[in-house]
Amino acid sequence: MKNHLPRRAFAIASIVAAAGMFPLLRGQDRDDGKVYAIRGATIHTLAGQPIEDGTVIIQGGRITGVGSRIGVPRGAQVVNAQGLHVYPGMLDAFSYVGLTEVGAVSATNDITEKGDFNPHLQAAIAVHPASEHIPVARANGITHAVVAPGGAGLPLGGTGRGTPPVIPGEASLMNLNGWTWEEMLVDPAIGMVLTWPTIDMPRRFNFGPPEDEPSDPSFRKAEEKYEERVAEIETWLEASRHYGRAKQAGSLEAPDSKLEALLPVVEGRQRVIVVANAARAIRNAVAFCQKHKLKMVLAGGAEAWKEKKLLSEKKIPVILGPTQAIPEEEDDPYDKLYSAPGELHEAGIKIAFGSFNSSDSRLLPYEAAMGVPFGLPREEALNAITRNPAEILGIADRFGTVEEGKVANLIVTDGDPLSITTEVRYLFIQGELTPTDNKHQQLYEKYLARP
Amino acid sequence: MTGLMRFSGRLPGLPLALLLVSLPATAWPQSRPLLIQHANIVTVTNGIIENGSLLIRDGKIAGVGESLLIPDGAQIINATGRYVTPGLIDCHSHIAADAINEGSIPVSSMVGIEDVIDPDDIGIYRALAGGVTTANVLHGSANPIGGKCQVIKLRWGKPASGLIFEGAPPGIKFALGENPKRSNSQPGGRRIDLHPNTRMGVNDVIRQAFADAKHYQSRWKDYEKRKAAGEKRLIPPRRDFELESLVEILEGKRLVHAHCYRADEILALLRLAEEFGFRIQTLQHVLEGYKVAKEIADHGAGASTFSDWWAYKVEAYDAIPHNAAIMVRKGVLVSINSDSAEEIRHLNQEAAKTIKWGGLSEDEALRLVTINPAMQLKIDNRVGSIEPGKDADLVIWDGPPLSNFSKVLTTLVDGEVYFDREKDFEAREQIAKERQTLIEKEKESQKKKKASGSDKPAEEK
Amino acid sequence: MNSYIGSLRRGRPLVFALAVCWVALSIGAAAAEEPSRPKSFAIQGAKLVPVSGPVVEAGTIVFEDGLITAIGRDIQIPPGAWLIEGKGLTVYPGLIDAMSSVGLPEQDRGRRGGPGNRGGSGSQGELPVSAGPEDRPATKTWALAADEFDPANDRVKAWREAGFTSAVVAPMDGIFPGQAAVINLAGDRASEMVIQPQVALVINIGYSGGYRGFPNSLMGYITYVRQLFHDAGQYSAAWAVYRDDPSGLERPAYDRTLAPLVEAKSEKRPVLYPGDLAKEIHRALNLSKELGFPLIVYGAHQGYEAAAALAERKTPVMVNLKWPEKEGDADPEEEEPLRVLRLRDRAPSTPAAFEKAGVKFAFYSGEIRSAAEILPKVRTAIEKGLSPEAALRALTLSAAEIYGVENRLGSLDSGKIANLVVTEGDLFAEKPKLKMVFVDGQKYDIRPPREEKPEDKEQASETPQQEGTP
Repeated sequence: MKNHLPRRAFAIASIVAAAGMFPLLRGQDRDDGKVYAIRGATIHTLAGQPIEDGTVIIQGGRITGVGSRIGVPRGAQVVNAQGLHVYPGMLDAFSYVGLTEVGAVSATNDITEKGDFNPHLQAAIAVHPASEHIPVARANGITHAVVAPGGAGLPLGGTGRGTPPVIPGEASLMNLNGWTWEEMLVDPAIGMVLTWPTIDMPRRFNFGPPEDEPSDPSFRKAEEKYEERVAEIETWLEASRHYGRAKQAGSLEAPDSKLEALLPVVEGRQRVIVVANAARAIRNAVAFCQKHKLKMVLAGGAEAWKEKKLLSEKKIPVILGPTQAIPEEEDDPYDKLYSAPGELHEAGIKIAFGSFNSSDSRLLPYEAAMGVPFGLPREEALNAITRNPAEILGIADRFGTVEEGKVANLIVTDGDPLSITTEVRYLFIQGELTPTDNKHQQLYEKYLARP
Repeated sequence: MTGLMRFSGRLPGLPLALLLVSLPATAWPQSRPLLIQHANIVTVTNGIIENGSLLIRDGKIAGVGESLLIPDGAQIINATGRYVTPGLIDCHSHIAADAINEGSIPVSSMVGIEDVIDPDDIGIYRALAGGVTTANVLHGSANPIGGKCQVIKLRWGKPASGLIFEGAPPGIKFALGENPKRSNSQPGGRRIDLHPNTRMGVNDVIRQAFADAKHYQSRWKDYEKRKAAGEKRLIPPRRDFELESLVEILEGKRLVHAHCYRADEILALLRLAEEFGFRIQTLQHVLEGYKVAKEIADHGAGASTFSDWWAYKVEAYDAIPHNAAIMVRKGVLVSINSDSAEEIRHLNQEAAKTIKWGGLSEDEALRLVTINPAMQLKIDNRVGSIEPGKDADLVIWDGPPLSNFSKVLTTLVDGEVYFDREKDFEAREQIAKERQTLIEKEKESQKKKKASGSDKPAEEK
Repeated sequence: MNSYIGSLRRGRPLVFALAVCWVALSIGAAAAEEPSRPKSFAIQGAKLVPVSGPVVEAGTIVFEDGLITAIGRDIQIPPGAWLIEGKGLTVYPGLIDAMSSVGLPEQDRGRRGGPGNRGGSGSQGELPVSAGPEDRPATKTWALAADEFDPANDRVKAWREAGFTSAVVAPMDGIFPGQAAVINLAGDRASEMVIQPQVALVINIGYSGGYRGFPNSLMGYITYVRQLFHDAGQYSAAWAVYRDDPSGLERPAYDRTLAPLVEAKSEKRPVLYPGDLAKEIHRALNLSKELGFPLIVYGAHQGYEAAAALAERKTPVMVNLKWPEKEGDADPEEEEPLRVLRLRDRAPSTPAAFEKAGVKFAFYSGEIRSAAEILPKVRTAIEKGLSPEAALRALTLSAAEIYGVENRLGSLDSGKIANLVVTEGDLFAEKPKLKMVFVDGQKYDIRPPREEKPEDKEQASETPQQEGTP
């Protein structure tokens, strides 16, 4: 059996490059010398047929062996998983885990920085490792999460003014275990978040009771405002390109952290996670990214089903928001958001799911599962919370499946993790057997025992 | 026993259209009996009947059993492999209402949802599509004593009066904690500085209101007595709709549904109610109910909670998904509610979460969204389980009702089909077609108007 | 014949009651510049559409001292009557705008304007606090539109020239903004123009100006109406007992908001209550049944879905002629719900549905700002199936009947007030040609519309700021 020594040299180098101003940012493999063997389980590798009565060997944070006839290394801690199932750990592809503790208390929220253009900010350093949300999420099988700044999908966009910042910063990929954010860190800059500006028009006709009249019902004006916003984004990108050229020519007067952070974006190296929900916003965002040769990942995508042809043609992957949501339009079919994942998959679009939430991150598998009775193949629902997001985020070499050589983020369950009643029995994050205990479990036990 | 969670086998792939024989689904004549055959009938109160039959006559369940005689002229639904449950009941909803909060004042017991039922709310239909047939539509939580609630049946398409659940006992909303406190501190609003600022204040507002109500009650009693005694020169007291609702509570005629979170405020309300001699019918949300489950059970209050929401505010920070299960174990009558036009569409899944978190049985879990809320709303003589004599409010599922891989195929209220997935697909096409026609028609007429210049009055040229 | 009254436009025409004599001499400086008015008129050989009876081709109508004295064929024309050759003309009863803000001071438009959205009325902090129904928020049941009517208001003339000789003027600035009056749209002084000062009590649900606090929701408004009506009942009962013999009894409070309600009830005066959508119409019907007030629903754009219920309850309706329209500057991608599309398509079919179901209805100008827009909106209803006869009746006799003034207005009958509109061709023609109107038997010529010049203030009868409430 190969002993995979930490191969982080490359990863760390790339992180430093991406992080630019933050050379201190680094992830660590944990190699505490522990070796685990999960035995007797059905292994759903998601890279091939399930392996009955199989064994998974974990060593040095990595999966070092997967198969049905594998010996257990000496000194390995054996996890007897007879009758249980091994799956890759779930990846919440767009979340706020660790950035907020109590939604209504602004002092606990670190999602939304002031200003509309903060490309140099990175979510990772604000992730609170002691947040109670982290153990709660992982108890349900979420082993790693994209933690994004901005606040899309939260009440009032997280800003209190309705819309999140245009470029709130870099989303970071975090393992949901670690004493410090540094230990949790996988990639501080997994994608630049761009909240696509919307044309906000009040609804004209009110079927409800008398209410405030729309203050500015002019579409032309709203469109003008929107176009100004888009022009602003273009200006930033242009400034960054100019900055890059000057840097290359050695004629840079002073470094500019914001323009520096945008360089990998304008050079097409760094993906842009574009939050857009309405069909028009999706269309416009796609056209914009094509024009500027940006590497686009769509996030949100409530009306992505309306643009599936375009998304499929342009090969743009989608991180879908919750499926258990109300359809955008009154006349939309009642099950539109339930059936959309299946439709997108059928159109050949790669889909993943994001909770767009912190406390509800644990519901990720159910958001994916909701698509199943409405047309999404069950295997694909599972892929959409494991290997698809890894592929979309360019980390499929390390995450997403139960395969030799991959980071040992995996779960041992008593059934299909998509099913509500399935329990996660064991959880490995970066190869560490991580307790599923959490605040909820503790309160449960404490008060159940109250005399 | 057939599980409510897992598919017991491969389901026959018959489209429902083939199963619904001969008549358009929405037009069951009330006189013509309807027989559902070969279904897994989940009665809730009497176990599961596999491959059973269910007879509906005049909107009521006329019979349930392994096999029933087919009455003359009966319609037949072949539900082989399907599951039939009672219609789900949501003890806390805000759908189908054109107003939710009269939050201007701390006590708004004079107002009521009944006045503002919105029969056109698409939320009704979407809830039906999730198997819900009855909902308690509540006033909001802006004030310690809010407005009156209305229990409705989701008879989509009927006018407001047709949605009212006939004979359901009237209710009222109370609210404790952060929401009524916060009502004070919204600058620029139309609210006025009358709201309490602390949990002490919230409790005191309720106390004062009931003190006033008692006084009001005695004034009326005195008047009635003197009138009965034949006294002639009597000025009738003024009817005060605010206090009248509270007197109804004191007299046990109006059920209190109290929005609450923290253990302390829950306990304080129970004690206050006991002091005034009435019972809190249900504690709503009651996210820390598990901490005082014993006291809740002793008081005799029901508890209607969310499955797993937490951390959105401080008073929800100790919320745990095991809340329902603990309370059930400690003898509280518990239901799972939605409080949301979205969540109401999958209450079955929300109930199923208590199996995972807290270890309730499938049977116990299903009760949380059927018979238990029916009992909490005191309508369990009519709905909440499949028993002869009860209303034929039924859901046909394509799989086990607690599985999140199952979906609703048909929902019936009073024996009439109000949602049917096949019909829904047909309606989609009709809606699209009609939309297109109307949009084009409008464009055409706008063009015409522009051409004739008649769209603008002379004065505005 | 144009020149006769035409010159009066600028001046202040006198009402018939003062022009006691055909040869009366001047009674003031202004009048000295104008010829005095004829006492009687006769239109001869015109097509007469009396509304109350069959059309009279080539008939004659005579009116004297502001009242119709004769109508028919072979009518004796009194000597001294101002004779108008009616060949090619059609005479209709003067039109009635059955719920209007014409002539009222600019109002705080409460309906559909929302809580917390009263711009320009000072900060919320300055408004009186309403902590419950007892504070009588925005309640002016005693206020009479008749007292606030301004005859010099530009819109009075504009409406008259559009064929409207009377209007039911309704106050809208309050939850209980006051009482509506039937007023003739020509004259010097409101006192002489008013036909009936109190014809209906107005309720304006959703009005939120002038107070803060309760009510702040639709439920609150409805409850407030309920409480106020009950309070009025108790008020009346309490005072009856107390007045009879106050000795030893607690004195009932004085409440100026309740006395008018008590009076309205004893007079069986109807209540104008809003109901635009079907569900709102049902709510109005329920409330009127519960509280026992005679109801007139106003709004009724979705009346096509509530016609049966209205007919069953024999409830008359004021149909708002401001049909819902898609706004020009709407979001082209906005997916409007089918029910919105349907409403816009079908709203103008409401009158036809009412005609078919036997619902009595009249029209009102609603938010229509320009008088010239009103009749084309009626035409739209006709295109949607309303018979022209029913349309005319709605604009005349039905309106009069609903407000109980049909003994004076609404048809060409001997003894009724001489309010007439005279056209060349049909009133509902695409471009109706209104020649003149008569109000209280006085003639007002209508000049054909012409291109306006900015300085032509006199002709520009609309001021854009003025909004046609309700």
